[in-house]
Amino acid sequence: MTRVLVPLAILAGESVSPGLIDLLGTVDVTVLGYHVVPEQTPPDQARLQYEDRANEALDDVTEEFAAAGGAAERRLVFTHDREQSVERIADELDADAVAVRGATGPVERLLVPLTGAVAADRVTEFVVTLVGDRDVDVTLFVATDAEDEAGETALDDAAASLREAGIDVETSRATGPPFESLVDAAAGHDAVVMGERAPSLRSFLFGDEAERVAAETVGPVLVVRRGEEAAAPERDPDADAA
Amino acid sequence: MSPDAEGGGRNVEGEAPVIEETVETDEATVTGDAELERTLGLSGGLAIGIGTMIGAGIFVFPGLAAGEAGPAAAGSFAIGAVVALLVALPTSELATAMPKSGGGYYFISRGLGTLAGTVVGLSLWFGLVFATAFYLVGFGYYAVDTLAEVGVAVGDGLAVPIALLFGAGFTALNVTGTENAAKLQNGVVALLLSILSVFLLYGALDALGVVGAPSAPERFMPFGPVPVLTTAALVFTSYLGFAQVATVAGEMKRPGRNLPLAMVGSVVIVGVMYVLTVFVATSAIPSGELAALGETAMVDVGRHYLGGAGALAIVFGGLLATMSSANASILSTSRAIYAVSRDAILPRWASRINLKYGTPHVALGLAGGPVLVLVGTGEVEVLAEVASFLHLVLYGLMCVALIALRRDEPEWYDPDFRVPGYPVVPVLGALSSFALILFMQRLSQVVGLAVMLAAAGWYFYYARGVSLRGAL
Repeated sequence: MTRVLVPLAILAGESVSPGLIDLLGTVDVTVLGYHVVPEQTPPDQARLQYEDRANEALDDVTEEFAAAGGAAERRLVFTHDREQSVERIADELDADAVAVRGATGPVERLLVPLTGAVAADRVTEFVVTLVGDRDVDVTLFVATDAEDEAGETALDDAAASLREAGIDVETSRATGPPFESLVDAAAGHDAVVMGERAPSLRSFLFGDEAERVAAETVGPVLVVRRGEEAAAPERDPDADAA
Repeated sequence: MSPDAEGGGRNVEGEAPVIEETVETDEATVTGDAELERTLGLSGGLAIGIGTMIGAGIFVFPGLAAGEAGPAAAGSFAIGAVVALLVALPTSELATAMPKSGGGYYFISRGLGTLAGTVVGLSLWFGLVFATAFYLVGFGYYAVDTLAEVGVAVGDGLAVPIALLFGAGFTALNVTGTENAAKLQNGVVALLLSILSVFLLYGALDALGVVGAPSAPERFMPFGPVPVLTTAALVFTSYLGFAQVATVAGEMKRPGRNLPLAMVGSVVIVGVMYVLTVFVATSAIPSGELAALGETAMVDVGRHYLGGAGALAIVFGGLLATMSSANASILSTSRAIYAVSRDAILPRWASRINLKYGTPHVALGLAGGPVLVLVGTGEVEVLAEVASFLHLVLYGLMCVALIALRRDEPEWYDPDFRVPGYPVVPVLGALSSFALILFMQRLSQVVGLAVMLAAAGWYFYYARGVSLRGAL
């Protein structure tokens, strides 16, 4: 079953827009409520004080997701390091995608960029499940700086498999810097579904690009995680997250 | 039977200890409804251990120790390292069995019961307060010397006011600063170790006559063997850092591996550095003169080897080191207070978190306030010894707790790391910890004992109804 992880700074009053809740109605959702505490504070101390309040808020959000259709679960984490927690739980759940929240109304058009080294198969597979039999149109998008035959092929293959699943597909190409072209293309779309790029979810989810995509397009972004086979070489388990 | 069946009871205000079943994984602690992420790696643990220890041993003690024991002060530091290792190994086992916030206090309250736990928990609080005050006074002297080095002579009279100012500053910074204090600590420790390595390498080559002029030989033990032991008791403060690693055990990734490595590793690293430093210092300057130079004798050692640049490097290193020791200790203190407050030995409000900054402002205040009072005394040696006294009691009791747990192993006791050479190592650890106490000044012993008695009195007044033994 397809599962999406939705991280939320639960005690900072973050909530999920109704459009995103509806969009995720076709998949299972795990709501990850997190609270980041400064180094001076043991996470357990924060839990002692805030757990009840966090649980209440988290239950509400989880119920909303369950009401939208899919199975909804919840996790609550107190941490010094948001990225580490999101990544750990995404791994544990083997989540297919992680949601970056954003405001949107009902989702009618999805933008799916396939620029660069992304696992296009996984992305299209995820889009097919996500759209289901709903009336959501998809724009496949690729930004190239020159003739890029590999990119073209990937785009056509992806379009073909989406059409096969009965989804209304448009394709769009742009020449120019990938990120700026993506932001331009996002106009008129309600949400973005994109593939996680090497080397890790972390650099994509939390780097400048994700912030900017979310900020520029305002709408939510779903990041499809790389599969086991596509993942970078085994991380050194002893490596410290400095 | 669930492991928490034994704990419970209430204190005089009717508060019960917060005891619940948890599952410890390498990456998180999983409680009923929430997860607590483990975010500290091995390097973070080493930085806490080394960062806490290195300030005192290298930048404050060489002068004082050389004055009392002569060149054999290097032996005093070596004895201290051996005692620290004998305790660090049992502590590692306990920490991997109970990777929780609170460190030594937690192990003793679970192994030996609430009375011992209260005495140790509150003594740990005050022991850290004395240690922090000692680091801050050392910092004050280095600040004065730094000013003198850049041409502003203000005199030693300003050392204590500067220490007070910075003590208040650190406390305020810890309450309001939510940026990555730990990363800063890592950087400071790395920088310090590089400065020291260069300095020690050069000094050792010089002292051995490889470079520079041969130095004048001096009798190794001018005052006989007893001062070597009393000096070991004094300088043991230099090793009061490894157990601080255990206070953050709840936040350490892969605790079964990283806790023992961080504790034993930091003792070995600083032990080698201390012995080398004293060797280099006493080779450069006769111990009598070192003693006269006092807390900042190392500055003149730096000048001896590398001229003005050497002196500047050492004052700068001293500033960094005493600062990182003081800061790491304030943080450990607030975790120690949290651990006892969670167990209803102190009122629950002591572990409240500030709504605006998310920091434990009450506990930080309970750490910083008494520190400032003690800094006001300016008594470096007594502060250091009382800190050592209280820590040594904690260390001795940790070894006893280990033996008690091992003799009648409870079901929940499943450490990843088992102390080699059981029962010899913990028995020796306990004996040598208690023995070092005997070699301290009378005043320090009296003050230390008074703190412990007061803690016991608090138990009988406040926490008598709380039972913690075996309560995980």
